[in-house]
Formats: sequence, C-alpha cells, structure tokens
Amino acid sequence: MSNIFQMFKKDLIRFMNDKTAMMLTFIVPIVLIIIFGNIFGGNNTSRGKAHVIFVNKSNSEIAKLIEAKLDSSSNIQLIKKYRVEGTDSILSFTEDKAMEYVRTGKHAAAVVFPSDFLLDTSATMNIKFYYDPRNEIESSIIQGGIQQTIFSQLPEIFPALLARQANNFLGETKANGFRNDMANMISSYFNIPKDSILKFASTKITSGLLKQTSSDSTKNSFIENLINFDSEQLVGKDLKNPQVTRIVGGWAMMFLLFTLTGIATSLFEEKQEGTLRRLLCMPVTRTEILLSKYLFSLSTGIIQLMVLFVFSWAIFDVDIFTNFTNLLIVIIISASAAVSFGMIITSHATSLSQANGVATLLILVMSAVGGAWFPTFLFPDWLQVVAKFTLTYWSVEAFQQIMWRQAELSAITLNLLILIAVTVIFNLYAINRFNKGKIF
Amino acid sequence: MLKIENLTKNFGKITALNNISLEINSGEFFGLLGPNGAGKTTLMNHLIGFLKADSGTITYNDELVKFGDKQIKRKIGYVPQEIALYQELTAYQNLKIFGSLFKLSKKELSINIDKALELVQLLDRKNSAVKEFSGGMKRRLNLAVSILQSPEVLLCDEPTVGVDPQSRNAIFEMLQQLNKQGITIIYTTHYMEEAERLCNKLAIIDNGQIVASGSLTDLLNTLDRKKTIKIIKTAETESLYDKLCEIAAVNVFDFKYEIIQNNEFQKDSQLYTYFEKIGLSSNLIEVSSASLEDVFLHLTGRRIRD
Ligand SMILES: Nc1ncnc2c1ncn2[C@@H]1O[C@H](COP(=O)(O)OP(=O)(O)O)[C@@H](O)[C@H]1O
Ligand SMILES: [Mg+2]
Repeated sequence: MSNIFQMFKKDLIRFMNDKTAMMLTFIVPIVLIIIFGNIFGGNNTSRGKAHVIFVNKSNSEIAKLIEAKLDSSSNIQLIKKYRVEGTDSILSFTEDKAMEYVRTGKHAAAVVFPSDFLLDTSATMNIKFYYDPRNEIESSIIQGGIQQTIFSQLPEIFPALLARQANNFLGETKANGFRNDMANMISSYFNIPKDSILKFASTKITSGLLKQTSSDSTKNSFIENLINFDSEQLVGKDLKNPQVTRIVGGWAMMFLLFTLTGIATSLFEEKQEGTLRRLLCMPVTRTEILLSKYLFSLSTGIIQLMVLFVFSWAIFDVDIFTNFTNLLIVIIISASAAVSFGMIITSHATSLSQANGVATLLILVMSAVGGAWFPTFLFPDWLQVVAKFTLTYWSVEAFQQIMWRQAELSAITLNLLILIAVTVIFNLYAINRFNKGKIF
Repeated sequence: MLKIENLTKNFGKITALNNISLEINSGEFFGLLGPNGAGKTTLMNHLIGFLKADSGTITYNDELVKFGDKQIKRKIGYVPQEIALYQELTAYQNLKIFGSLFKLSKKELSINIDKALELVQLLDRKNSAVKEFSGGMKRRLNLAVSILQSPEVLLCDEPTVGVDPQSRNAIFEMLQQLNKQGITIIYTTHYMEEAERLCNKLAIIDNGQIVASGSLTDLLNTLDRKKTIKIIKTAETESLYDKLCEIAAVNVFDFKYEIIQNNEFQKDSQLYTYFEKIGLSSNLIEVSSASLEDVFLHLTGRRIRD
C-alpha cells in the first residue's frame, strides 16, 4: 500500500511540475461547459426558449391577456404562423394545422386555447396541449412554462373578471358596493389584504394590467385554493436551467472517457523513458504500479468532473448542491468504471497510438450510443437495447436521475452495482494481464 | 554467489539467450563483453527478475531468483542501459521518488541520497531539473539512483554509452570505488578497452551464447599468438591480397588487413618468411600485443564492432 502511495505521489509531483497539463485539466472542462452550455441551453436567454405552436380560438379577454404574458415569457417562444409549403404565403396556425405539425415532428408541442377557453360561469380554464411523447422532456418544459405563466397571472385576472361580471349585471354604482362586499368576504376567508383585492377589482382589463407582474406569494396561495389545477408530473419543473442540467451528465461521462487513455499514455511514456523498467527493478509489484496509475487517473477524472459541475453551477445555475452527496457518489463510481475501461485498453494495446486509436473509437461510440450526446429515448428500439451494453448508458442514466429528478440513491442502485461490477472485473483482468509482463 | 545455469530465453523466433551458464563470485568486477544484440541486456533482465526465462535457473546465495521477485531487488541494484529518470524533475526529486520504494527510514534514505549524490559528484546540482543535465551528468545520476538501497550487487548495463571521455573516467572511478567497498559489480559493455581496464573476471557473449569466460589472462591465453599482425592497405598490399589469403584468413578493414591466426604457421618467423617471399615490405607490417578484440575475433571470426 505504501508503495502504491509513493508511486501515486510521484505521478502527482510530475503532474504538478507540468504546468501546462495542470492548467489544461482545469481549463478544458471550463471552456467546454461554456461552449456546450451556450449551445444547448445558455443562460436562460432567448436562445434557450422552448418553441411551441400557439393557437388562440377564444375571443375572451382573459385568453388574450394570457397570450400576451406567454409572448413575453422568458422560457417559451410562441409560434403562431407558418409558411405554406412551396409558396411565400404565411398563414396563422389553425388547430388542425398545429396537430399536423406536431404529428409529423416539425414541432415538439402545440398549445390551443379553444373557443370554450373560459366559459362565462366557469372558474376553470380549458387548455389543449398536443405533444409528441418522444419529446417528453421538452413537452414538460413547455407545460411547466404555460402553467407557471397562467398561475402567475390568475390573481390579477380573477378579481378583474368578477368585477366585469358584476358591472354587467348590476350597473356601475351597485357594482362598486358589490366589490366592497366581495373584497371583504375574500379577505376574511382567505386572509389577504382587502386593498389588494379592491385594487384589481376596480381595474378595467386594459393594456395597463398586462404590464403588471405578479410574484406575491399570498396571491398565488389564494388562487391555488380556489382552483384545482390538475397537472401531470412535470419533470424538471423546478430546475433553474433544465437544458444544461439535462446534458451535464452526458458531458461528465464523456470527460471520464477521455481519461481512458490516461493510464495507457502514462505507462507507455514511462516505458519509453525507461522509468517503468526502473520501477520494475525496484521492490514493487506490477500490481502496485498499475494500481498507482489507476489511482492517479481516477483522481484526475474526479477533479475534472468536480470542476465541470462547479462551473455548470456557477455559470448556468445547475443545481448541484441539493443532491450533492449522491452526485459525488455517482461521480466517483462512474470515474472508477471509466478508468477501469482504460485499464483494459492499456493491458491489450501494444503501442500508444494503438491505445489512443482504440480509446477514441470507444469514446465516440460509447458516448453516442450510451446517451451522452442525445437522450436514448430518441433512439430506435434496437439501439436502445445496444445502449445498455455501454458504460456510458448506466452512468449517464445515474447522473440524470440525480440531477434531473433529484432521485435517491435507491433509484440508481442497479446502475451503481453494474458500474462497480465492471470496475472490479475489468481491473482484475487488467492486473492479471499486466502481471504476465507481455506488454510492459 | 550468483549462479546462472542453462538459461534460455526466446523472443518469438529470436533466441536471445542460448543455454547460458555462468558463476559470479562475491566482490568481483565482472565484465560481460559482447556486441550489440548479443543478449547482455536480456541476461541482466533475468538477473533482476524482470524477465521470465524459458528454461534454466538463477540462484543468488543458493536462493532461486524468481520472476518479479521483490527480495532480490533489494539486494541487487540495476543501472539500466538507457537514462531512466524523470527528466522534468530535479535530481533530488528523482532520488527521493525511487528511494522511497525501498522502505528505508526517512533518515536512512536521506543519508543514502546524500552519499549517492556525493559519489557521483552532483551534490551541488541536486536541485536542477534532469533535462538540463549533460549526457555525462545524466549517466551519473542514473547510477546514483541505483545504489540508494545499498545493494550487494550492482548491475551496470553499458553505463558509458554516449558519455564524454571525462565523465566516462569519472564513472569508472565511481564503480571502482563501489567495488572496493565490497559491492559486486556486473558490467556489460561492447568496448574492449573498458572490459580490459575494469574487470577482473570476464565472459564473452555472442548470439546469446557465452563463448569464453575467465580472467583477462585466461582469455588472452586462449590465443596461440599474443600478438596481432596488421598490414596497412596500399596499392601494393592490395595486389598481394590474394596471396595473403593463401596462407591465412584475412579480415579486411578500411585501412588495414588483419592476419588471422592460422595453424599452418604456428611461428611468427614462418609468417615473416612468407611475407618476404611474396615481396611485402616490412614497414607496412604492424605488430601489436593481443587484446580482447583478438580473443573475440578468434572465437567468432568477427570483430566486436562491425
Ligand atoms: N522484448 C524483446 N522482444 C523481442 N526481441 C527482443 C526483446 N528484447 C531483446 N530482444 C532481442 O534479443 C536479442 C538480444 O538483445 P539484447 O539483450 O538487448 O542485446 P544487447 O543488450 O547485448 O545489445 C536481440 O536480437 C534483440 O533484438
Ligand atoms: Mg543492451
């Protein structure tokens, strides 16, 4: 054990001596997270908006109000028009056209406010939502965004709506009295200041209202008690930067795969310099040499991932702290598995370029097939089966559960067990081969 | 003390060691002389337990040396043929890193590091990066790293390759000093002069086989003639080449012919009579006392450095 530690220390000293290598270890993940983050999600700027077809068939003013709010939403981009194929004419979407567009995969989802969006007597808003189940994450983001917008506007809309009804039935003067009574009643029942209710009730629905933003929590709780909005489970609804959160596990695994060649490179280097043979002529075992390399690769892998995650938190607001312990466990176990894959390659490669070639191939194939680049649910069925034979799949899946769904460890037990098993088997195999002294 | 018996090692079709047997005694400065590719390094690698023999055994003080043996590595130091150092680190860091693997106490290690640095005269440069060293300094440090555990035996695999004459002499003196302290030294080289100068016991290896072994005198005694006869190449001697070949095997070099001992002409006088007969002027004949080079030539029919 002390030999392993001494040789590990040696690699560390050499690493610290190599300022360029050390800088790269930290800079590469940072640069990549900035580039990828901006491509895939960005900082909640317009680039990151989810696109959704929007059709408003209702002529209710409330519908118009909500449409306007959605228009100015920071995470949803409404698409209301389309170009007729083969011509230059641009038309507004109809409900049928919207459905067709979603069905053919041109857009992920469509929102329709039907003509019965808000009936005169009803307190429920009807919204139709069409989406392609293959794009379930994006659909969830859209649904979440719409709900959020509606919820945030309801406190303003509802009293105004009631006021309008009162005016219609009672006339202007009597309606004022009604408003007072109503405000008294609401405030006593729901324990919110009468003033704030009156303020909205006396406001005509005008464009001035549209400029109001609402974030007062008392109003929200008032509405939530009044209307029971039956929502589906909205995955990732609370995440500040869902796009980056979704992809960060994939990058993490890709990073780990780049450490695959670490052991091979370092061993071939030492072979070339002759220091490997010198080590072998010292009272250390081959197993100890290999394990010290393993430990070193593992440490750099883990440090790189930590840098990656901390930066995705600092720049893109990805939440890494809520589930931090679990995240750390997944990082360590994934790194162990990835490095053990490198051990296998090292134990079979007869030259560094061969090791690099094989590793590059594996990195690309495993990243693509295992879901580091695209979610595997987008794959055809057979490829989804193949994906399960890659390390990447189990690791990315675990990262997703931890980051996207904030899952408990129990949800990823299988993933972790598979990764640990791979680590143990690969390492034993590699050590066994290395001990035979065929290559080094 | 160190006994090699019937050692054979093949690398695929190449037989690097062919049934080698040798015995090296404690305190000897043992030379292993042979041309490139003879199998010197391969033999060293077996002595340190780095390679696994196909057949045969090595024993050290009657204990079997096994492949990957940890114990033997504490007793035998190994100076590799190549510079085996971390170039970007300092001399001191290198010594510390390799020394730490011998499980010495901190104090003992630091004493040994100082002693080694002093021996190779690098104390004042211990904090310089190895890559800034000259070839000779690197060689010296390469040696220093190999004696940190105070070995009983030191294997030196061509430790003077690529070294300026001054550093070479320094290395010789260092090794002789270590030998005087009681460390057995096994020294491989393809330089005759080094073997002649340093070693009190010798083995000549060629094509994976030991062709001769013994003290320098033993080896020189295998020659019938204690002198070599060389003839300077000129237009005159070139025309006599065919005639020379009639009485002896002749090795042709760039500027000289070398007459190889031939039993028909046991006595030098007979040779000289022949030279006179064919009209070779005596000022073109060079006579020098025999060397290991001649032993090698005699045994293998080739010169050691082709
Ligand atoms: N690892 C190896 N694989 C294949 N052939 C080898 C290996 N090591 C040495 N050889 C071959 O064995 C022979 C002896 O090599 P070596 O012991 O290095 O010679 P020397 O040290 O005397 O110059 C050479 O023909 C060399 O090519
Ligand atoms: Mg050699």
